[in-house]
Amino acid sequence: MSILSVSGLTVAHGQIVAVRDVALEVAPGQCLALLGPNGAGKTASVEAIAGLLPKVSGRVMFNGEDISGMPASTVVCRGLALVPQWRELFANFSVEETLLAATNAARGRPAISLEVIFEYFPRLKERRSQIAGSLSGGEQQMLAIGRALVTNPKMILLDEPSAGLAVGIVKTMIDIIGRIQQSGVAILLVEQNLEVATALAERCVVLTAGRMVWSGTVVDAMKTDEIREAYFA
Amino acid sequence: MSELLMVIIGGLASGAVYSLVAIGIVVIHKATKTVNFAHGGFVLLGAFAAYLVVVKLQWTYWAAYLIVPVLIGGLATGVELAILRPLRKADLFTVITATIFIGIGLSEIYRLSYNTEILAMPKPIAGAPFFFGDVILTRGQLWVAAGALTAGFVGLLVFSHATIGRSMRAMASNVRGATLCGYSVDRVYAIAWFVGGALAGLAGVFAGPSKGISPDLAVAMITAGFVAAVIGGFDSLRGALLGGLLLGLAETFAAAYVSSAMKSAISFLLLFVVLLWRPDGLFSEAKVRDV
Amino acid sequence: MKIFLPSLCILLLTLAGSALSTYWQYVFTISIGATIVGVALVMLVGYARCITIATGSMLAVGAYASALTVLKLGWSFPLALLTGLFFGAIAGYVLAVPAVRFRSHNLAMVTLVFQEVVIIFLREAKSLTGGAEGLNIPPPVFFGIVIKSDIGNLVMTGIAAAIVIFPLTVLLYGPFGKNLRALAANEIGARAFGISPRKYLIAAFVVSSAAIAFAGALSAPRFRIIDPDSYGVLTSIFTLAYPIIGGMNSIWGGLLGGGALRILPEVLRPLADYIELMFCVLVVLTVMYFPGGLVELVERMSARFRQGKTASSEAALDGAETRDAMVKAMPPAMPREDEVAGAAALRIEGMSKSYGALQAVKNVSIEVAVGRLHGLMGPNGAGKTTLFNMVTGFTQPGAGSVTSFGRSLSEVPVEERVGLGIARTFQHVAVFPSLSCFDNTLIGLGRNGVTASMRRSIASARAGVAAGEEREAVMAALDAVGLKPLALQPAGSLSLGNQRRLEIARAIVSRPRLILLDEPVSGVGADEAAQLRELLLAINRELGVTMFVIEHNIGFLLSLCDRLTVMSYGEIIAEGEPNEVVATQHVRSAYFGDKATA
Repeated sequence: MSILSVSGLTVAHGQIVAVRDVALEVAPGQCLALLGPNGAGKTASVEAIAGLLPKVSGRVMFNGEDISGMPASTVVCRGLALVPQWRELFANFSVEETLLAATNAARGRPAISLEVIFEYFPRLKERRSQIAGSLSGGEQQMLAIGRALVTNPKMILLDEPSAGLAVGIVKTMIDIIGRIQQSGVAILLVEQNLEVATALAERCVVLTAGRMVWSGTVVDAMKTDEIREAYFA
Repeated sequence: MSELLMVIIGGLASGAVYSLVAIGIVVIHKATKTVNFAHGGFVLLGAFAAYLVVVKLQWTYWAAYLIVPVLIGGLATGVELAILRPLRKADLFTVITATIFIGIGLSEIYRLSYNTEILAMPKPIAGAPFFFGDVILTRGQLWVAAGALTAGFVGLLVFSHATIGRSMRAMASNVRGATLCGYSVDRVYAIAWFVGGALAGLAGVFAGPSKGISPDLAVAMITAGFVAAVIGGFDSLRGALLGGLLLGLAETFAAAYVSSAMKSAISFLLLFVVLLWRPDGLFSEAKVRDV
Repeated sequence: MKIFLPSLCILLLTLAGSALSTYWQYVFTISIGATIVGVALVMLVGYARCITIATGSMLAVGAYASALTVLKLGWSFPLALLTGLFFGAIAGYVLAVPAVRFRSHNLAMVTLVFQEVVIIFLREAKSLTGGAEGLNIPPPVFFGIVIKSDIGNLVMTGIAAAIVIFPLTVLLYGPFGKNLRALAANEIGARAFGISPRKYLIAAFVVSSAAIAFAGALSAPRFRIIDPDSYGVLTSIFTLAYPIIGGMNSIWGGLLGGGALRILPEVLRPLADYIELMFCVLVVLTVMYFPGGLVELVERMSARFRQGKTASSEAALDGAETRDAMVKAMPPAMPREDEVAGAAALRIEGMSKSYGALQAVKNVSIEVAVGRLHGLMGPNGAGKTTLFNMVTGFTQPGAGSVTSFGRSLSEVPVEERVGLGIARTFQHVAVFPSLSCFDNTLIGLGRNGVTASMRRSIASARAGVAAGEEREAVMAALDAVGLKPLALQPAGSLSLGNQRRLEIARAIVSRPRLILLDEPVSGVGADEAAQLRELLLAINRELGVTMFVIEHNIGFLLSLCDRLTVMSYGEIIAEGEPNEVVATQHVRSAYFGDKATA
């Protein structure tokens, strides 16, 4: 049974239909990549699934429960965490306090201790008292992922985790995300960078202009001219 | 010298009340991005409630200090639920206008019940004033200064360290990020208004005996609270606390060494100068870029 | 003709009142006096969206200034009224200069400062103003006639109000009022077409304060004694209710709000004590449920009876020939005075910008030749938007320069660019939703300085509509983009695609030489994007307008541009013929990552 099952997802903002009738399934512990050019509606899709957007129609089933229409603060408490494209950290909070803030979402469920998070991100442990605003781009991205992990999620939605990061850091990121997946957490990965997508995901869905245009394995996607054209047409 | 000391203590006493009011305004603004022009009305009703508790019900002042903040906090949450929640998506203009008229409405409700007679309350602390040489310090002044300041500090500490404060600070910093930590906007806003209202109510209990209860109290408190908050930088609780004290001192100094007209004018002049010279406030914390 | 209606209405009220008993004459007098305040506040609070708590002090300024000229200088009442008006204008200016540096709550606080300081001054300057005891005012004398009776007061007030409301009407209906509303609706869009926020807000304060002071001077004699406490903060707040309850977006709202609310305590005598509370409840209900006030309520109800023409918000999707013909019919781009012959349409040199440790833009240089369609693309975070903001003047460059047709743009403020022949469109559509398409485009013409717009308001009052040549230019532009049938529709009711067309109409109406387009097809469907592309191609071809475009939609850029620059991580990584550029390894890996491009 899928841990995440989305059907008929449509997101409209005023008159702009950002996402039209998107459907996808993610099995427990699996990593699915959501690909497509800029403006294709990838971010709108994951934010809609996570509960951050108001005008959403369609059905989202998570872990057997219908979470369509639930606000993000409730969705995250159900075990579906989002690492948003712009990170959305708290500029004045220290690394430690950011993680502590997120423990709020894990209440009632077994908690993930900060030590576990620091094992994934030793860089963050070194900087535990430093405030988020003074961290480097890569460290902020790690903190954002760590914040999602603290909520003890069964699944994480990752929106362009490699954006704006230097090549070396991207490799580290790929490693860490791979380890997170191996610990049993399913992942929906939004990426423009096909290299990251191929390293982490087995299957993918491609969006263009808000619509699904392709779905299949990532290997097949790399071979298809269609995908290239989707980005540049 | 002794006169100077009395002026300072007097300034600290009224300044401490202003600090409480300003802290309440800033808590609400930080957490909900709303500037609560109705805050003065909350203070007035707090003073009025204290009057009812102490004079009508003949209970002790301690009862007032405990009950009134809860009452006014509840009232503030009610205002949030009934009026501001539906206006959540509206523009600033609408929200400011609404809170201005809610504030005046609250003081009108009071005026209709007690007209414009000034209600007097007994002193919170009985006993003779303290004499240090030429210096006369009334117990009331010392009580207000100490009590209101302590309450202010406690408020600051709760906000910066307690879990409940964390939810408000997270919401203040980044609403989306806060929801991703499981903090519900509705709940945090309600809490912030409750805390803000409670602080206003408490300020009212302190202000009632020292300033007298009349509809003018609402306008006086909102302006003083605002000026203090602006001096402090409008988003800094510590700034609000210090701003209130600074304002109180400025007023008593103006009254003692210039004229009573200057006392009324000084708060406005201070506001004006701060807005033009240091619009971010005198005590504001350094701004960190959004992440 | 409709310009005269408000004043006419006042005169009719005066006429009606004079036939009634003296009590009602008195009531009508107060009501009419308050309409002046209502209309003035519609300008400041309704149109310009400035919350002011200084109305009481402005009334006081007018009342005291006029009273003092009568008492101390022995001037006649008409002169005293003008003095009140004059001092009101000065007071408005003094308040506005510091106030308009701020917006929303800080602006309100500055007005509160002014209010309180004025009252304190009036209370303290005993020798001049009589202090807290106030001044005794003699009855007004008009050309030798002493006015003491109720009917006399009514006629005097009615005529004076009709006279002073007339220029307010002219300004509110004309380009001045429209520009104020545009400013309040979308400050960025307004600035890009020459509307300076500071100047307009100061003007709004000056005009409205003058009118309010006039009203204060007019009503003072009726009170016999004026004292500072009658003009306190509560007066300011309750007058704020006039435009809000009456209707913030219309002169009639001011008339209705001022006229009706002011006399409620008189008319509802038994409830007099509760009136203020009722005001508060009414205002809160109004902002929550019908923000357009009573005027909006009336309009909604009458719309139910009128099975109105629901104009479709689909523009006629004209064929290629019609569109080309419409575009050709427009006058071509007009060279401006100080252009340097042979200079590039846009030359960006050595542009850089850093935010702390992050270098958003690193030493970027681009040259856009005259007549080109030049595109700029790049993945997220490449610095395109930062660069664009520096070029359009909305962000200060860290280093580097921008010139256009040989003139340096470095020191040119945003508001002056439309006059230089540079127009722009916005990624998040910056049209003015409550103004019609016609009015939106009219603003694109520029000529939006404060005095210019006041002059144009007078001209348009005379002509009945916008002056002839302006009107033609606007209709030609709307026609060229295919929006002519929707000219009178409010821009907010248009579909996104049509709003984007409207932005283009607004951009071309001033016959610019260069248009800067920010994601012109963002959020728009494929068909609409193709139409917009054809439109832009036609404008470039037929009118000779150079264009510089940022877009994420690469296909759109490929089919539109004849030259393409690619940015990544703040630097230019490729530039040249679009299809070649897009095929390079470099560019592909910037978007995809290296492995994928093997």
